[in-house]
Amino acid sequence: MFDTFSEMKFLLKQLVKRDLTSKYKDSVLGILWSFFNPLLIMLVFTAIFSMLFGRTIENYPVYFLSGRLIYDFYNNATKGAMRSIKSNAYILKKIYVPKYMFSISAVCYEFVNFLISFVILFGVMLITGAQFHITSLYAIVPIFFLVILIFGVGLILAVCNTYFSDIGYLYNVFTLILMYASALFYPMEIVPAQVQMIFTLNPVYSAISCFRECVVYGIAPNLNTLAYLAVFAFTVLGVGILLFNIYDKKLSLEI
Amino acid sequence: MSFMDKVLRFFRKKDAVVLPADEKGEVVIEVKDLVMEFKVSKDKIDTLKEYVIRTIKRNKKEKQKIRILDGVSFNVHKGERIGILGFNGAGKSTLLRIIAGIYEPTEGSIKIKGKLAPLLELSAGFDKNYTGKNNVYLNGAFLSMDEEFIKEKYDEIVEFSELGEFINYPVKNYSKGMKSKLGFSIATAVNPDILIIDEILAVGDIKFKQKSSAKLKDMMKSGATVLFVSHALMDILEICNRCIWLENGKIIMDGDTKEVIDAYVERSKKK
Repeated sequence: MFDTFSEMKFLLKQLVKRDLTSKYKDSVLGILWSFFNPLLIMLVFTAIFSMLFGRTIENYPVYFLSGRLIYDFYNNATKGAMRSIKSNAYILKKIYVPKYMFSISAVCYEFVNFLISFVILFGVMLITGAQFHITSLYAIVPIFFLVILIFGVGLILAVCNTYFSDIGYLYNVFTLILMYASALFYPMEIVPAQVQMIFTLNPVYSAISCFRECVVYGIAPNLNTLAYLAVFAFTVLGVGILLFNIYDKKLSLEI
Repeated sequence: MSFMDKVLRFFRKKDAVVLPADEKGEVVIEVKDLVMEFKVSKDKIDTLKEYVIRTIKRNKKEKQKIRILDGVSFNVHKGERIGILGFNGAGKSTLLRIIAGIYEPTEGSIKIKGKLAPLLELSAGFDKNYTGKNNVYLNGAFLSMDEEFIKEKYDEIVEFSELGEFINYPVKNYSKGMKSKLGFSIATAVNPDILIIDEILAVGDIKFKQKSSAKLKDMMKSGATVLFVSHALMDILEICNRCIWLENGKIIMDGDTKEVIDAYVERSKKK
Protein backbone atom coordinates (compact mmCIF):
# COMPACT_ATOMS: atom_id res chain seq x y z
CA MET A 1 0.00 0.00 0.00
CA PHE A 2 1.37 3.39 -1.08
CA ASP A 3 4.72 1.93 -2.02
CA THR A 4 5.32 3.93 -5.15
CA PHE A 5 5.62 7.63 -5.69
CA SER A 6 2.93 7.72 -8.37
CA GLU A 7 0.36 6.37 -5.91
CA MET A 8 1.29 9.04 -3.38
CA LYS A 9 1.20 11.77 -6.01
CA PHE A 10 -2.23 10.73 -7.20
CA LEU A 11 -3.60 10.66 -3.67
CA LEU A 12 -2.18 14.11 -2.98
CA LYS A 13 -3.70 15.47 -6.15
CA GLN A 14 -7.09 14.02 -5.32
CA LEU A 15 -7.03 15.34 -1.75
CA VAL A 16 -6.13 18.87 -2.84
CA LYS A 17 -8.82 18.73 -5.50
CA ARG A 18 -11.37 17.57 -2.94
CA ASP A 19 -10.58 20.51 -0.65
CA LEU A 20 -10.68 23.02 -3.49
CA THR A 21 -14.05 21.80 -4.76
CA SER A 22 -15.63 21.71 -1.33
CA LYS A 23 -14.47 25.26 -0.62
CA TYR A 24 -16.06 26.76 -3.69
CA LYS A 25 -18.99 24.41 -4.11
CA ASP A 26 -21.77 26.47 -2.57
CA SER A 27 -20.65 30.00 -3.30
CA VAL A 28 -21.98 31.74 -6.37
CA LEU A 29 -18.85 33.81 -6.71
CA GLY A 30 -16.77 30.66 -6.51
CA ILE A 31 -13.07 31.16 -6.77
CA LEU A 32 -13.52 34.93 -6.85
CA TRP A 33 -13.74 34.87 -3.06
CA SER A 34 -10.03 34.15 -2.95
CA PHE A 35 -9.56 37.48 -4.65
CA PHE A 36 -12.12 39.49 -2.74
CA ASN A 37 -11.08 38.54 0.74
CA PRO A 38 -7.51 39.95 0.71
CA LEU A 39 -8.63 42.82 -1.50
CA LEU A 40 -11.32 43.99 0.90
CA ILE A 41 -9.05 43.65 3.92
CA MET A 42 -6.41 45.63 2.07
CA LEU A 43 -8.92 48.39 1.32
CA VAL A 44 -9.95 48.61 4.96
CA PHE A 45 -6.39 48.72 6.22
CA THR A 46 -5.36 51.19 3.56
CA ALA A 47 -8.27 53.47 4.44
CA ILE A 48 -7.39 53.39 8.14
CA PHE A 49 -3.62 53.25 8.28
CA SER A 50 -2.40 55.03 5.19
CA MET A 51 -3.23 58.28 6.99
CA LEU A 52 -0.98 57.23 9.84
CA PHE A 53 1.85 55.65 7.94
CA GLY A 54 1.28 57.05 4.46
CA ARG A 55 4.30 59.30 4.68
CA THR A 56 6.77 56.66 5.83
CA ILE A 57 5.52 53.92 3.53
CA GLU A 58 5.70 54.72 -0.13
CA ASN A 59 3.01 52.50 -1.60
CA TYR A 60 0.86 51.48 1.34
CA PRO A 61 -1.52 49.05 -0.43
CA VAL A 62 1.37 47.07 -1.89
CA TYR A 63 3.32 47.18 1.36
CA PHE A 64 0.34 45.83 3.27
CA LEU A 65 -0.69 43.20 0.73
CA SER A 66 2.79 41.77 0.32
CA GLY A 67 2.96 41.13 4.07
CA ARG A 68 -0.62 40.05 4.43
CA LEU A 69 -0.42 37.37 1.71
CA ILE A 70 2.58 35.73 3.34
CA TYR A 71 1.03 35.91 6.80
CA ASP A 72 -2.32 34.56 5.54
CA PHE A 73 -0.57 31.67 3.86
CA TYR A 74 1.31 30.81 7.06
CA ASN A 75 -1.79 31.22 9.19
CA ASN A 76 -4.19 29.21 7.03
CA ALA A 77 -1.75 26.47 6.08
CA THR A 78 -0.56 25.72 9.62
CA LYS A 79 -4.13 25.71 10.90
CA GLY A 80 -5.23 23.49 8.03
CA ALA A 81 -2.45 21.03 8.75
CA MET A 82 -3.29 21.15 12.45
CA ARG A 83 -6.85 20.03 11.80
CA SER A 84 -5.97 17.65 8.96
CA ILE A 85 -5.73 14.43 10.94
CA LYS A 86 -8.70 15.00 13.19
CA SER A 87 -11.03 16.05 10.42
CA ASN A 88 -10.15 12.97 8.39
CA ALA A 89 -10.42 10.62 11.35
CA TYR A 90 -13.38 8.80 9.84
CA ILE A 91 -11.22 7.78 6.90
CA LEU A 92 -8.10 6.98 8.90
CA LYS A 93 -10.07 4.61 11.13
CA LYS A 94 -11.30 2.62 8.19
CA ILE A 95 -8.73 2.69 5.43
CA TYR A 96 -4.96 2.59 5.64
CA VAL A 97 -3.63 5.92 4.39
CA PRO A 98 -0.33 7.42 5.59
CA LYS A 99 -1.53 10.11 7.99
CA TYR A 100 0.97 12.74 6.93
CA MET A 101 -0.61 12.72 3.48
CA PHE A 102 -3.54 14.65 4.91
CA SER A 103 -1.23 17.21 6.53
CA ILE A 104 0.78 17.62 3.34
CA SER A 105 -2.38 17.99 1.26
CA ALA A 106 -3.73 20.67 3.62
CA VAL A 107 -0.56 22.70 3.11
CA CYS A 108 -0.61 22.15 -0.66
CA TYR A 109 -4.20 23.28 -0.80
CA GLU A 110 -3.35 26.54 0.97
CA PHE A 111 -0.36 26.94 -1.29
CA VAL A 112 -2.68 26.89 -4.30
CA ASN A 113 -4.81 29.58 -2.64
CA PHE A 114 -1.63 31.55 -1.94
CA LEU A 115 -0.63 31.41 -5.60
CA ILE A 116 -4.10 32.55 -6.65
CA SER A 117 -3.85 35.55 -4.33
CA PHE A 118 -0.70 36.66 -6.17
CA VAL A 119 -3.00 37.84 -8.92
CA ILE A 120 -4.36 40.40 -6.45
CA LEU A 121 -0.92 41.61 -5.49
CA PHE A 122 0.16 42.06 -9.09
CA GLY A 123 -3.17 43.67 -9.93
CA VAL A 124 -2.79 46.20 -7.13
CA MET A 125 0.81 46.83 -8.16
CA LEU A 126 -0.37 47.59 -11.67
CA ILE A 127 -3.15 49.93 -10.54
CA THR A 128 -0.99 51.83 -8.06
CA GLY A 129 1.74 52.17 -10.65
CA ALA A 130 4.32 50.27 -8.64
CA GLN A 131 7.43 49.18 -10.41
CA PHE A 132 7.94 45.54 -11.29
CA HIS A 133 11.42 44.28 -10.53
CA ILE A 134 13.33 41.41 -12.01
CA THR A 135 14.43 40.59 -8.45
CA SER A 136 10.87 39.36 -7.86
CA LEU A 137 12.12 36.02 -9.12
CA TYR A 138 14.31 35.73 -6.00
CA ALA A 139 11.10 35.59 -3.96
CA ILE A 140 10.92 31.87 -4.71
CA VAL A 141 13.71 31.31 -2.18
CA PRO A 142 12.03 32.79 0.95
CA ILE A 143 8.73 31.24 -0.13
CA PHE A 144 10.40 27.85 -0.35
CA PHE A 145 11.77 28.18 3.18
CA LEU A 146 8.39 29.40 4.38
CA VAL A 147 6.77 26.26 2.98
CA ILE A 148 9.37 24.14 4.79
CA LEU A 149 8.60 26.02 8.01
CA ILE A 150 4.87 25.50 7.52
CA PHE A 151 5.31 21.76 6.98
CA GLY A 152 7.28 21.52 10.21
CA VAL A 153 4.88 23.59 12.30
CA GLY A 154 1.91 21.81 10.71
CA LEU A 155 3.20 18.33 11.57
CA ILE A 156 3.86 19.35 15.18
CA LEU A 157 0.42 20.91 15.54
CA ALA A 158 -1.32 17.97 13.88
CA VAL A 159 0.11 15.61 16.50
CA CYS A 160 -0.69 17.96 19.41
CA ASN A 161 -4.21 18.57 18.15
CA THR A 162 -5.09 14.88 18.19
CA TYR A 163 -4.09 14.63 21.83
CA PHE A 164 -5.38 17.98 23.04
CA SER A 165 -8.41 19.39 21.30
CA ASP A 166 -7.94 22.88 22.77
CA ILE A 167 -4.59 23.45 21.07
CA GLY A 168 -6.51 25.24 18.33
CA TYR A 169 -7.66 28.02 20.67
CA LEU A 170 -4.17 28.55 22.03
CA TYR A 171 -2.75 28.61 18.55
CA ASN A 172 -5.32 31.21 17.49
CA VAL A 173 -4.01 33.53 20.20
CA PHE A 174 -0.47 32.76 19.15
CA THR A 175 -1.08 33.61 15.50
CA LEU A 176 -2.75 36.87 16.53
CA ILE A 177 0.38 37.88 18.42
CA LEU A 178 2.42 36.70 15.46
CA MET A 179 0.43 38.97 13.18
CA TYR A 180 1.21 42.04 15.27
CA ALA A 181 4.83 40.96 15.44
CA SER A 182 5.11 40.70 11.67
CA ALA A 183 4.91 44.39 10.76
CA LEU A 184 2.05 43.82 8.37
CA PHE A 185 0.42 47.22 8.43
CA TYR A 186 2.99 49.50 10.02
CA PRO A 187 6.56 50.37 9.11
CA MET A 188 9.39 48.75 11.01
CA GLU A 189 10.80 52.22 11.82
CA ILE A 190 8.10 53.01 14.39
CA VAL A 191 9.20 50.06 16.51
CA PRO A 192 11.79 50.96 19.20
CA ALA A 193 15.26 49.70 18.38
CA GLN A 194 15.42 47.28 21.34
CA VAL A 195 12.14 45.65 20.35
CA GLN A 196 13.17 45.36 16.70
CA MET A 197 15.54 42.64 17.88
CA ILE A 198 12.54 40.48 18.81
CA PHE A 199 10.97 41.05 15.42
CA THR A 200 14.00 39.74 13.64
CA LEU A 201 13.61 36.50 15.58
CA ASN A 202 10.15 35.97 14.13
CA PRO A 203 10.62 33.67 11.14
CA VAL A 204 7.37 34.78 9.52
CA TYR A 205 8.61 38.37 9.62
CA SER A 206 11.89 37.18 8.10
CA ALA A 207 9.94 35.68 5.21
CA ILE A 208 7.86 38.84 4.83
CA SER A 209 10.84 41.16 4.84
CA CYS A 210 12.74 39.03 2.32
CA PHE A 211 9.67 38.88 0.14
CA ARG A 212 9.21 42.64 0.29
CA GLU A 213 12.84 43.25 -0.56
CA CYS A 214 12.52 41.09 -3.68
CA VAL A 215 9.10 42.13 -4.92
CA VAL A 216 8.46 45.64 -3.59
CA TYR A 217 11.88 47.25 -3.26
CA GLY A 218 13.63 45.45 -6.08
CA ILE A 219 16.73 44.42 -4.15
CA ALA A 220 18.22 41.04 -3.39
CA PRO A 221 17.02 39.64 -0.06
CA ASN A 222 19.16 40.12 3.01
CA LEU A 223 21.29 37.01 3.21
CA ASN A 224 21.47 36.96 7.00
CA THR A 225 17.70 37.07 7.31
CA LEU A 226 17.37 34.42 4.65
CA ALA A 227 19.91 32.16 6.33
CA TYR A 228 18.15 32.58 9.69
CA LEU A 229 14.82 31.67 8.08
CA ALA A 230 16.36 28.63 6.39
CA VAL A 231 17.97 27.30 9.57
CA PHE A 232 14.84 27.92 11.60
CA ALA A 233 12.61 26.29 8.98
CA PHE A 234 14.68 23.15 8.59
CA THR A 235 15.09 22.77 12.35
CA VAL A 236 11.33 22.98 12.86
CA LEU A 237 10.77 20.54 10.00
CA GLY A 238 13.25 18.14 11.59
CA VAL A 239 11.47 18.35 14.94
CA GLY A 240 8.13 17.93 13.18
CA ILE A 241 9.17 14.82 11.29
CA LEU A 242 10.71 13.33 14.41
CA LEU A 243 7.62 14.00 16.54
CA PHE A 244 5.34 12.71 13.83
CA ASN A 245 7.38 9.54 13.46
CA ILE A 246 7.19 8.85 17.18
CA TYR A 247 3.45 9.41 17.46
CA ASP A 248 2.35 8.28 14.00
CA LYS A 249 1.46 4.78 15.13
CA LYS A 250 -0.27 5.82 18.33
CA LEU A 251 -2.44 8.41 16.60
CA SER A 252 -4.94 5.96 15.14
CA LEU A 253 -5.87 4.91 18.67
CA GLU A 254 -6.43 8.52 19.73
CA ILE A 255 -8.59 9.86 16.94
CA MET B 1 11.56 2.05 -10.37
CA SER B 2 11.81 5.78 -10.70
CA PHE B 3 14.18 8.02 -8.81
CA MET B 4 11.42 9.30 -6.52
CA ASP B 5 10.50 5.74 -5.58
CA LYS B 6 14.06 5.21 -4.45
CA VAL B 7 13.87 8.39 -2.36
CA LEU B 8 10.62 7.15 -0.85
CA ARG B 9 12.08 3.78 -0.02
CA PHE B 10 15.13 5.40 1.53
CA PHE B 11 13.00 7.47 3.89
CA ARG B 12 10.86 4.56 4.90
CA LYS B 13 13.74 2.15 5.28
CA LYS B 14 11.41 -0.45 3.92
CA ASP B 15 13.04 -3.26 2.06
CA ALA B 16 11.17 -5.85 0.10
CA VAL B 17 9.71 -8.29 2.59
CA VAL B 18 11.41 -11.64 2.52
CA LEU B 19 9.48 -14.41 4.15
CA PRO B 20 10.97 -17.88 4.35
CA ALA B 21 8.99 -20.78 2.99
CA ASP B 22 8.05 -23.53 5.40
CA GLU B 23 6.92 -27.10 4.78
CA LYS B 24 3.52 -26.01 3.43
CA GLY B 25 4.86 -23.62 0.84
CA GLU B 26 5.51 -19.94 0.42
CA VAL B 27 4.48 -17.78 3.40
CA VAL B 28 2.74 -14.52 2.45
CA ILE B 29 1.53 -13.32 5.86
CA GLU B 30 3.43 -13.95 9.05
CA VAL B 31 1.67 -12.95 12.26
CA LYS B 32 3.81 -13.37 15.33
CA ASP B 33 2.76 -12.99 18.98
CA LEU B 34 0.31 -10.25 18.17
CA VAL B 35 -0.97 -8.30 21.16
CA MET B 36 -3.40 -5.44 20.81
CA GLU B 37 -4.48 -3.29 23.71
CA PHE B 38 -6.92 -0.43 23.68
CA LYS B 39 -6.98 2.20 26.38
CA VAL B 40 -10.37 2.76 27.88
CA SER B 41 -11.14 5.33 30.48
CA LYS B 42 -14.43 6.81 31.56
CA ASP B 43 -13.24 10.40 31.46
CA LYS B 44 -10.64 10.82 28.81
CA ILE B 45 -8.31 13.79 29.14
CA ASP B 46 -8.42 15.39 25.75
CA THR B 47 -7.70 19.04 26.40
CA LEU B 48 -4.46 20.64 27.44
CA LYS B 49 -6.30 22.59 30.15
CA GLU B 50 -7.63 19.40 31.71
CA TYR B 51 -4.20 17.80 31.45
CA VAL B 52 -2.48 20.68 33.26
CA ILE B 53 -5.14 20.85 35.97
CA ARG B 54 -5.03 17.12 36.57
CA THR B 55 -1.26 17.13 36.71
CA ILE B 56 -1.25 19.90 39.32
CA LYS B 57 -3.98 18.24 41.36
CA ARG B 58 -2.31 14.85 40.95
CA ASN B 59 -5.67 13.48 39.94
CA LYS B 60 -4.72 11.47 36.93
CA LYS B 61 -6.77 8.35 36.74
CA GLU B 62 -4.99 5.19 35.75
CA LYS B 63 -5.92 4.30 32.26
CA GLN B 64 -7.54 0.94 31.94
CA LYS B 65 -6.41 -1.29 29.16
CA ILE B 66 -8.37 -3.97 27.50
CA ARG B 67 -6.63 -6.68 25.59
CA ILE B 68 -8.37 -7.40 22.33
CA LEU B 69 -5.74 -9.71 20.90
CA ASP B 70 -3.53 -11.75 23.16
CA GLY B 71 -0.61 -13.52 21.58
CA VAL B 72 -1.96 -14.46 18.19
CA SER B 73 0.48 -16.18 15.85
CA PHE B 74 -0.10 -17.87 12.55
CA ASN B 75 1.35 -18.15 9.07
CA VAL B 76 -0.63 -17.81 5.90
CA HIS B 77 0.61 -19.54 2.79
CA LYS B 78 0.16 -18.44 -0.75
CA GLY B 79 -3.24 -19.37 -2.14
CA GLU B 80 -4.73 -20.30 1.22
CA ARG B 81 -8.27 -19.14 1.89
CA ILE B 82 -8.68 -18.65 5.58
CA GLY B 83 -11.98 -18.14 7.36
CA ILE B 84 -11.87 -16.41 10.72
CA LEU B 85 -14.57 -17.41 13.16
CA GLY B 86 -15.52 -16.15 16.57
CA PHE B 87 -18.30 -14.71 18.66
CA ASN B 88 -18.81 -10.95 18.84
CA GLY B 89 -15.90 -9.14 20.47
CA ALA B 90 -13.45 -11.97 19.85
CA GLY B 91 -11.04 -9.66 18.03
CA LYS B 92 -11.69 -10.71 14.44
CA SER B 93 -12.16 -7.26 12.97
CA THR B 94 -9.27 -5.83 14.99
CA LEU B 95 -7.03 -8.55 13.57
CA LEU B 96 -8.06 -7.69 10.03
CA ARG B 97 -7.50 -4.00 10.67
CA ILE B 98 -4.01 -4.64 11.96
CA ILE B 99 -3.23 -6.71 8.88
CA ALA B 100 -4.64 -3.90 6.72
CA GLY B 101 -2.29 -1.44 8.48
CA ILE B 102 -4.95 0.72 10.10
CA TYR B 103 -3.84 -0.11 13.63
CA GLU B 104 -0.34 -0.67 14.83
CA PRO B 105 -0.14 -3.67 17.19
CA THR B 106 0.90 -3.04 20.80
CA GLU B 107 3.31 -5.95 20.65
CA GLY B 108 4.33 -8.53 18.13
CA SER B 109 5.02 -8.26 14.47
CA ILE B 110 3.32 -8.73 11.20
CA LYS B 111 4.89 -9.23 7.80
CA ILE B 112 3.07 -9.14 4.53
CA LYS B 113 4.31 -9.95 1.07
CA GLY B 114 2.32 -8.79 -1.92
CA LYS B 115 -0.39 -6.34 -2.84
CA LEU B 116 -3.18 -6.12 -0.34
CA ALA B 117 -6.82 -5.33 -1.08
CA PRO B 118 -8.78 -4.69 2.10
CA LEU B 119 -12.53 -4.84 1.61
CA LEU B 120 -13.38 -3.56 5.05
CA GLU B 121 -15.44 -0.40 4.71
CA LEU B 122 -16.54 0.06 1.16
CA SER B 123 -17.83 3.61 1.25
CA ALA B 124 -15.58 5.10 3.94
CA GLY B 125 -13.67 7.36 1.59
CA PHE B 126 -16.63 8.82 -0.28
CA ASP B 127 -17.09 12.56 -0.38
CA LYS B 128 -20.83 13.09 -0.37
CA ASN B 129 -20.74 16.27 -2.42
CA TYR B 130 -18.70 14.68 -5.15
CA THR B 131 -20.28 13.00 -8.13
CA GLY B 132 -19.93 9.27 -8.46
CA LYS B 133 -17.30 9.81 -11.12
CA ASN B 134 -15.08 11.98 -8.94
CA ASN B 135 -15.52 9.54 -6.09
CA VAL B 136 -14.21 6.72 -8.23
CA TYR B 137 -10.95 8.65 -8.58
CA LEU B 138 -10.84 9.79 -4.95
CA ASN B 139 -11.50 6.31 -3.63
CA GLY B 140 -9.06 4.77 -6.04
CA ALA B 141 -6.45 7.14 -4.61
CA PHE B 142 -7.35 6.14 -1.05
CA LEU B 143 -6.94 2.49 -2.01
CA SER B 144 -3.46 3.29 -3.33
CA MET B 145 -4.14 2.93 -7.02
CA ASP B 146 -2.30 5.28 -9.33
CA GLU B 147 -3.81 7.63 -11.87
CA GLU B 148 -3.07 5.54 -14.92
CA PHE B 149 -4.58 2.43 -13.40
CA ILE B 150 -7.84 4.05 -12.36
CA LYS B 151 -8.26 5.78 -15.71
CA GLU B 152 -7.85 2.48 -17.43
CA LYS B 153 -10.30 0.73 -15.12
CA TYR B 154 -12.87 3.54 -14.94
CA ASP B 155 -15.30 2.19 -17.55
CA GLU B 156 -15.11 -1.27 -16.10
CA ILE B 157 -15.88 0.06 -12.61
CA VAL B 158 -18.88 2.07 -13.76
CA GLU B 159 -20.24 -0.79 -15.75
CA PHE B 160 -19.92 -3.22 -12.90
CA SER B 161 -21.59 -0.80 -10.47
CA GLU B 162 -24.73 -0.69 -12.69
CA LEU B 163 -25.12 3.00 -11.86
CA GLY B 164 -25.45 4.12 -15.43
CA GLU B 165 -26.41 7.78 -15.70
CA PHE B 166 -26.31 8.20 -11.90
CA ILE B 167 -22.52 8.18 -11.98
CA ASN B 168 -22.72 11.89 -12.81
CA TYR B 169 -24.87 12.73 -9.76
CA PRO B 170 -23.51 13.62 -6.32
CA VAL B 171 -23.14 10.67 -4.00
CA LYS B 172 -25.33 12.35 -1.38
CA ASN B 173 -28.30 11.55 -3.61
CA TYR B 174 -27.43 7.87 -3.75
CA SER B 175 -29.26 5.18 -1.86
CA LYS B 176 -27.33 3.01 0.54
CA GLY B 177 -27.37 0.16 -1.94
CA MET B 178 -26.02 2.32 -4.75
CA LYS B 179 -23.21 3.54 -2.54
CA SER B 180 -22.12 0.07 -1.57
CA LYS B 181 -22.39 -1.09 -5.16
CA LEU B 182 -20.03 1.66 -6.26
CA GLY B 183 -17.71 1.05 -3.30
CA PHE B 184 -17.55 -2.63 -4.09
CA SER B 185 -16.83 -2.02 -7.76
CA ILE B 186 -13.91 0.30 -6.95
CA ALA B 187 -12.39 -1.90 -4.29
CA THR B 188 -12.48 -4.99 -6.47
CA ALA B 189 -10.98 -3.33 -9.54
CA VAL B 190 -7.53 -4.47 -8.46
CA ASN B 191 -5.89 -7.83 -8.92
CA PRO B 192 -4.59 -8.30 -5.40
CA ASP B 193 -2.32 -10.98 -4.03
CA ILE B 194 -4.12 -10.89 -0.71
CA LEU B 195 -7.81 -10.17 -0.19
CA ILE B 196 -9.10 -9.16 3.22
CA ILE B 197 -12.85 -9.38 3.56
CA ASP B 198 -14.94 -8.38 6.54
CA GLU B 199 -18.49 -9.61 6.09
CA ILE B 200 -19.25 -7.88 2.86
CA LEU B 201 -20.21 -10.60 0.47
CA ALA B 202 -23.77 -9.37 0.73
CA VAL B 203 -23.90 -6.06 -1.10
CA GLY B 204 -26.87 -4.47 -2.84
CA ASP B 205 -29.97 -6.18 -4.16
CA ILE B 206 -30.32 -9.87 -4.94
CA LYS B 207 -29.09 -9.41 -8.49
CA PHE B 208 -25.99 -7.55 -7.43
CA LYS B 209 -25.38 -9.92 -4.55
CA GLN B 210 -25.02 -12.81 -6.97
CA LYS B 211 -22.80 -10.77 -9.23
CA SER B 212 -20.57 -9.54 -6.40
CA SER B 213 -20.10 -12.91 -4.81
CA ALA B 214 -19.34 -14.34 -8.24
CA LYS B 215 -16.68 -11.66 -8.69
CA LEU B 216 -15.14 -12.37 -5.30
CA LYS B 217 -15.07 -16.07 -6.01
CA ASP B 218 -13.40 -15.33 -9.33
CA MET B 219 -10.74 -13.31 -7.56
CA MET B 220 -10.21 -16.08 -5.07
CA LYS B 221 -9.94 -18.70 -7.78
CA SER B 222 -7.32 -16.67 -9.60
CA GLY B 223 -4.92 -17.65 -6.85
CA ALA B 224 -5.35 -14.80 -4.39
CA THR B 225 -4.80 -15.48 -0.73
CA VAL B 226 -7.94 -14.74 1.26
CA LEU B 227 -8.66 -13.75 4.83
CA PHE B 228 -12.37 -13.84 5.39
CA VAL B 229 -14.31 -12.86 8.51
CA SER B 230 -17.94 -13.85 8.51
CA HIS B 231 -20.75 -15.14 10.63
CA ALA B 232 -22.23 -16.86 7.62
CA LEU B 233 -20.87 -20.34 8.15
CA MET B 234 -22.13 -21.55 4.80
CA ASP B 235 -20.02 -18.94 3.02
CA ILE B 236 -16.95 -19.90 4.98
CA LEU B 237 -17.54 -23.56 4.30
CA GLU B 238 -17.88 -22.88 0.61
CA ILE B 239 -14.91 -20.55 0.21
CA CYS B 240 -12.29 -21.39 2.77
CA ASN B 241 -9.87 -24.28 2.97
CA ARG B 242 -8.61 -23.40 6.42
CA CYS B 243 -10.28 -21.91 9.44
CA ILE B 244 -9.11 -20.03 12.51
CA TRP B 245 -11.34 -19.71 15.56
CA LEU B 246 -10.68 -16.74 17.80
CA GLU B 247 -12.04 -16.28 21.28
CA ASN B 248 -11.12 -13.54 23.76
CA GLY B 249 -8.17 -12.62 21.61
CA LYS B 250 -6.69 -16.09 21.48
CA ILE B 251 -6.66 -18.75 18.83
CA ILE B 252 -8.76 -21.65 20.07
CA MET B 253 -8.54 -23.79 16.99
CA ASP B 254 -6.75 -23.63 13.66
CA GLY B 255 -7.23 -26.23 10.99
CA ASP B 256 -9.55 -27.83 8.50
CA THR B 257 -12.67 -25.73 7.84
CA LYS B 258 -15.18 -28.49 8.46
CA GLU B 259 -13.67 -29.53 11.78
CA VAL B 260 -13.38 -26.00 13.13
CA ILE B 261 -16.91 -25.10 12.13
CA ASP B 262 -18.29 -28.24 13.75
CA ALA B 263 -16.50 -27.49 17.00
CA TYR B 264 -17.63 -23.85 16.83
CA VAL B 265 -21.28 -24.79 16.33
CA GLU B 266 -20.99 -27.31 19.16
CA ARG B 267 -19.73 -24.55 21.49
CA SER B 268 -22.49 -22.15 20.52
CA LYS B 269 -25.10 -24.74 21.50
CA LYS B 270 -23.59 -25.12 24.96
CA LYS B 271 -23.69 -21.42 25.73
